This record gives sequence, structure tokens and C-alpha cells, in this order.
Amino acid sequence: MIAVDSLALGARTPRSVDEPADAAAVAALLKTCSAAGEAAVIVGGGTLQGIGNAPARYDRAIVMRRLDRIATYDPRDLTIGIEAGMTIAAVSARLAEERQFIPFDVPRPHEATVGGTLAAGWSGPRRAAYGALRDLVIGSTAALADGSLATAGGMVVKNVTGYDMSKLYVGSLGTLGAIVRANFKTLPRAAMCRLAIAPLSPDVEERAIAALATVTVEPSAALVVRGFAGNTPTVHDEDVRLIVLFEGSAATVDRATRELRSQLGAAGIAQTRLADGAHAERAFQATIDATIEPLADRSITYRARGIPTAAWARMDSVYAHVERLDLGADAIADLRTGDVYVRVSGATHATLEARLADVDATVRRVLSRATLLAGEPSLRAQLDAWGPPPATIATMRTLKNRFDPAGTLAPGRYVGGI
Amino acid sequence: MVRVARTMSIPVARTELGTRLVEALGADVALTQPEDLTVYAFDAYSEDRLPTAAVVPRDAREVGIAVRIARECGEPVVPRGAGTGLCGGAVPRNGGLVVSFARMNRLLELDARNKRARVQPGLINLELSKAIAAHGVFYAPDPASQKISTIGGNVGTNAGGPHCLSYGTTTNHILGIAYVDDAGEVHHTSLDDPGYDLTGVLVGSEGTLGIVTEVDVRLMTLPEAVRVGLAAFGDVESASEAVSAIIGAGIVPTALEIMDKLIVDAVEAHYHAGFPLGSGAVLLVEIAGPADDMDESEAVLARIARDHGALSWRTARNAAERDALWASRKGAAGAIGRIAPNYYIQDACVPRTKLPQVMHEIDRIAREHRLPVGNVFHAGDGNLHPLLIFDRRVPREVQAVVDAGTEILRTCIALGGTISGEHGIGYEKRESLSLVFSADDLAAMGRVRDVFDPGRTFNPDKIFPSGAVCGEVKRAHVA
Repeated sequence: MIAVDSLALGARTPRSVDEPADAAAVAALLKTCSAAGEAAVIVGGGTLQGIGNAPARYDRAIVMRRLDRIATYDPRDLTIGIEAGMTIAAVSARLAEERQFIPFDVPRPHEATVGGTLAAGWSGPRRAAYGALRDLVIGSTAALADGSLATAGGMVVKNVTGYDMSKLYVGSLGTLGAIVRANFKTLPRAAMCRLAIAPLSPDVEERAIAALATVTVEPSAALVVRGFAGNTPTVHDEDVRLIVLFEGSAATVDRATRELRSQLGAAGIAQTRLADGAHAERAFQATIDATIEPLADRSITYRARGIPTAAWARMDSVYAHVERLDLGADAIADLRTGDVYVRVSGATHATLEARLADVDATVRRVLSRATLLAGEPSLRAQLDAWGPPPATIATMRTLKNRFDPAGTLAPGRYVGGI
Repeated sequence: MVRVARTMSIPVARTELGTRLVEALGADVALTQPEDLTVYAFDAYSEDRLPTAAVVPRDAREVGIAVRIARECGEPVVPRGAGTGLCGGAVPRNGGLVVSFARMNRLLELDARNKRARVQPGLINLELSKAIAAHGVFYAPDPASQKISTIGGNVGTNAGGPHCLSYGTTTNHILGIAYVDDAGEVHHTSLDDPGYDLTGVLVGSEGTLGIVTEVDVRLMTLPEAVRVGLAAFGDVESASEAVSAIIGAGIVPTALEIMDKLIVDAVEAHYHAGFPLGSGAVLLVEIAGPADDMDESEAVLARIARDHGALSWRTARNAAERDALWASRKGAAGAIGRIAPNYYIQDACVPRTKLPQVMHEIDRIAREHRLPVGNVFHAGDGNLHPLLIFDRRVPREVQAVVDAGTEILRTCIALGGTISGEHGIGYEKRESLSLVFSADDLAAMGRVRDVFDPGRTFNPDKIFPSGAVCGEVKRAHVA
């Protein structure tokens, strides 16, 4: 039995915890909640609970971990159907047996679940190369607030049969329905995977990033990491480094490495550290883990989407602005997707709390469309995780009302108070 | 379910809708004369219906005005790209207003470094890729109709094409949409915005949720090297086995297409692209990517093909040969027109491993109904296009096509597949939707429709079974 205290969101703790055994039980619970006017939060691994606000009401936690099976998997179809509560690590391990993968790129994969990762709308660095998770989902079943189970899509890779409902559930943070099963396209694993790490000093930074663009093999991921000491790979414990992931045949990865080293050398970077295979995967995973890693109780982390060519400049700008507030910052610029992550920290919880309103205003001014990703709950509780809602918010509210008229599903947790 | 009776209605005198549209937008934009409306009565489906009026707007503002007027007149609004749709999606079943995007056909903005472009919905698919090729980028979805079909129409049906196999379908390449709602207001969606993925649900909604007036598309870097191989097989089943083996071996070519004997012979007679005449099936394989990998990948593909009984294997020697092969593949349906009085092309999808079985079943169904059948399909995706040949003047054959088509769909569903891979549901397949989805599944979709278009202004009578028109689906409807 899970203790209710461990499932607190902000200042709220659920009155009861349910662990349904299957999809029908999830749907039945939601129906009960709707009838009783209770608010329910769907709980996966809890790793991305920093996304979104604390719920306005929170009566029940519905923990999905018992829905942990692979529903169907024929590797020759390159598709898989998975129950929502299965962990990402377990799915990835099964896929690896068949030399396949899904680019989840999610922090803490041993805890994170398929349903939670999808509901959070998580989308990592390799989406530029392979598509976002939303693009790899080919079907889903969701338990809705009225107690029905609604399926969309299927087990085929091309499908225009009815609306693509899966797109709505992915990224909805459990406010439209509870994803109970998702079907994915899988991808064959590349023969080789290599991570290149190069230290960046202010005098070479710009040339190095320009040099990367001249490499004729597109990397699977390319990140500039600033700070995150101890969390992410470095060459000589330098503050800023370029982290590039190549995946492909041995010949292609070797050519990519040669070109990258030669270009970075010309830009004035003498040494590039390389990691292959499992070493590369671990170092890359550590970088992804860092995106939500808090600094004790004295940090909050934001993420903002944007265009790739602006990512590095936006990261530098937000870093400089946070320094001016006499606070610490660690940051990541994703050069291929345009995402920028920034973790703002104070010397103590109190220091950060004292400047919190300034921090929020500054980050959102410099990084438009920034949303909260992680950090100390009592600090996050003082802010709106989502910032100003988009212009389409009226349509979103109508959707919410149509799917969940009683406000059963995580009320208040989503964009614009949805 | 093919229908072949021509149901052109008798044109009526100018209506309130027509009068008001001409007043608001001018006779240049608003068309009301029967002779001007005839071209908006049909798409590539077999039924047509004259609209009450049509507009050819120049911008989103004019689209909004037209939608508002139509709604005030209680008339439905049907968006139209190039009219290449095969399921009647652009046919104004109940008259009303057709919105044509022939004038909104420009590439508005290209950002090649960030691999994105902003386009108007009337831009022709192939014109986009041609216009941006010099910048080293391309737009990946390439339906066979790409020489005439539009980006807006492609968004409506979540169009696919041979190269979906590795690049994904239209929905994977749309970053944002501007659309006009039922009040005539323009809204912008973006994948970068927090909140529900409205972009994702608009793609593939076949014009039933709003009228798309602008599209942000994702572009891809042109591959360094491309190679196209051609293998001839004794029959379709062995070609299908080879496809399953290629996918199972962990190779994802950019395209894996099969054409059977009937199609190859028709295509070769028309295009002379060098397809091996007389073979039972031809497998067309394209690989693309880093130049270093081409020889090895080709060797693996050729070996798998031979292991599965390929009679021959050759690769296109240059870009011209490659283009000729693709042009003839994409023109296959047209080439059939030379040898058949009428044909009906079906669209369905099965899990890839079910291909050999479903090909066998299609052959059986066609023989039982005494209809010649050709197969030209996206084998790597499990996306079938059996092409039933008939003569519409022969009542037995018309009924046989209807029955065989339905039987093929049921077979695909039984094998774990679905009833449309890329053409959409439109009007044609709407009653079949409840073969795939339960009443609860359809009710969830109906709620989305209620949110965007509660008055059912946009493309009514499309996608959803007739029982579902007014919102919640009747439970009695479930199979």
C-alpha cells in the first residue's frame, strides 16, 4: 500500500489511494469519482509531477503501476502496445532484446511510466531525428471521466480512421482522460552510438557551434550544457560543453566523428572526449536526467520551446539575466530541437524564495513560452507552472468541459487553470 | 462501398447564400452560376452534387466572411483542395458552400536553417518541395497525387505516400495551423504552445472541425545519397514475404512498394520506365541516408530479395532512372485507366506481418466475385490499395465491386488492421467506421466535433456514421 503522504501535490494530499488492476477498473473508478464529485489524479512514476500546478481539489490518487504489461508485441511489425503503468526502462529492455527502441529520452526511466511520460507531453532531444513521442504513438485507449473506455488509432503505422484522439491525451496531463494503453511505432537500433563531448570556452563557443553545422552527418542530438556539475559528462570539469550524439552505421559514425573533431579543432578546441555504446547511452541519459534534477530544496527548473538557431543565444541570455539577480543558473540549449532548459538556484531555499517573483518574471520575459518543469514543491506552488495561456485557451476550456464536465480529472493542474 | 449513379442535381435559381456572398466578396470571389459551380460538385469519388455557391477566397479574412454568411444562411461549408480525394470528402453532399483554395497557394515563408516553412493551404505538395530544394530541404509526405494535391487537402486526410515508411505521414510534419472556426474567426495553433495538441487533432479531421487557412510545415534535410532497387518476383505473396523479412531484419528503407503483374504491365505500357514485364510482382525499394551505408544496405536488400525468390534485382543507375521509376509508380492508377473501363481503388492497412495473408485473401475475394484485381501498395507500411476493375454499365459488376470492397475491409479489420491508411473516411466509408470503433470510441470523437463545430457547419455527413450526426452515437449502432 502506498502512503498518501508520498503522493502529495503542492499542499494537497489525497484522501485515498487506488491501485486498479486493469483498464476497466480505472474507468469504473473515474465513473465513481464523477458521480461523487470527487477529484482524481492519475499517478504514474511521479518523476514529472513538477510539470503542472497542484490540483485545486485532490480526493483520490489513482496509481497505474499494476497496469504494467506489454499488451502486444510482434517485433517484425515494428509496433508495440503497452499498458500505461509499465516503466520506460522495462519497455526499453524488452525492445533492446529485439534490437529495437523508442526514443523516450525521459529522465529517470526506471521510475517513469509510459502513461505518465505521454500525459506529461515529454519530448526529448532525439525528437529532431526520430520524431516526438506524439509522432510515434499510433493508437491509444483512455479511460474517460464518464467511465467509458475510448480507443483511437490502432496497431497499424498509417491510419486516417476517425479523429487522431491520441494527440489530445498525449500532453493533457491526465485532465481529459487517463491513458490506460498506448501503441507505438518502434525503431531498429543503430549499429553504433557515440557521444562526443567537447569543452567550450567563451572565446571558441560561437565558432564551435557554427562548426557543428558543417558536419555532413546529422547528429541524433546536440546540446550545449552550462553548469549541472556532477550530473552531466564533461572532459575536464569545464563549466560549458558541447554534447553531440551520433547514431548509425560504424562507417557513418566514424566519418561524423572525424569531421566533428577536425571542425572543432579548427575552431580551437584541442580535445574531444568520446564515449561509445553503453557508455554513450549512460552519459546521454545522465544529461537527460539533469533536466529535472533539483538542487536540494533551493532550485526550480523551466523549459521553453523555440527555434533551433536561437537556442544557444536564448540560453546565454537567460543565464546572464539570472546571474544579475545574484542567483545561480545551470542551463541546456538543445541545438536541434530549440528547447532551452534553465535551473535557477539560490544559496538557500530562503534566498530563492525571496527573489522568486523576479525570477519568474525574468525567465518568462527572456524565454517566451517557458513552463515549469521541476523544483521544490513549496516554491512551485507560488507560481503558475504554465505562464500565460495561448490564444486558443477558449477552445481548450471547452474541450475540458466536454470531456470532464464535473471536473473529476486533476482540476486546476493544467494550462489556464484547466 | 462504391456508388456509381450520377446524382447531379438540377441547378436552382440564385439563393440567399449566393446573393449575400456576391455582395460581401464580389463576383470574382463568389461563384453562383451553375456553369461555374460544376467543377466544385465532385472529387475523385463516384458521386457528385452541385453546391449552392462556391468561393475562391484570397485570404483568411475572406474565408471567415464566407463561413459566417454560410452559417447565417444555415448552409454547410465544404473545404476543397485539388479534389483528388477518393472518398467524397470534398463533395458537398447537401449542397451549401464549397471553399476552394486555388488562390491561396503561396509559400509564405521559408526558414531552411530551422527546417520550417509557412504555406497557404492551396499550395501544391510537389511545388513546395521543388521551391525549397535549392536550400537543401524537402517536405517529406509525398502522396501519389502530389503533382496536383494541395497541402491543405493533405492536412485534411493526413495524407501519406510511399516515403511515409521512414518519414511518417502528414501529421508528423505539421507544426501549427491557422484555421477559421464556425463563427468565421481565425485561430492559430502551434506545437510550441503549452496546452492541448489542437494541431494534432485538426490534422486528419477531413475538414469537419474548421477551415485551414495557413500551415506551418516541418522540413527535412535532403539525404546525402539515395538508391532505388527493383526486384521481380513470381507472385505477390513472395514479394510480401520479402518485405516482412526486410522490416524484420531491422532495415527501414525510405520506401517499400509492391506492384503486381496487372499493374506492372499497365504501367510499363504507359511509361516505359524499365519494369520487368510479365513478372508476378515487382518490389520497389528506396534507401536514403549517408553515402557510406549505401553499398552495404543494398547488398543486404538484394540478398533478402533473392532469399525470398526474387527473379532479378537491379538498381537505378542515375537520378533520371530513379525519377522515372517513381513517376510511373505514382502514375499507376492513371495507367490503369488505359486498360480498364472503370476501376475502384480501396485503401486499408494491416500490420506488416499480415501482408502475405491479406494478399492471398484479396486474390480469393476478387476471384469469388469474378473481378480482375490489381495491387499497387505501400508494402512497407502494410497499406494496401487493391484496385478492382469493372464496367459500370454492367450491373452485376457494380454490385460485385461493392461487395468485394466491403469484404476486403472486413478482412483487414479481422487481421488487426483498419479501413483507411491515407485516403480518409470521407463520405464513402463513414458507415464502416463502426466496424472499427465502438460507440464509446465514436462518442469521444463526437465530443471533439461538438467543441469545434457544434452546429455541424463543416463538412457534415463525413467521417461519422449517419447515426452519429447529432452528437452522441446510438449504442444500437455498435456491431
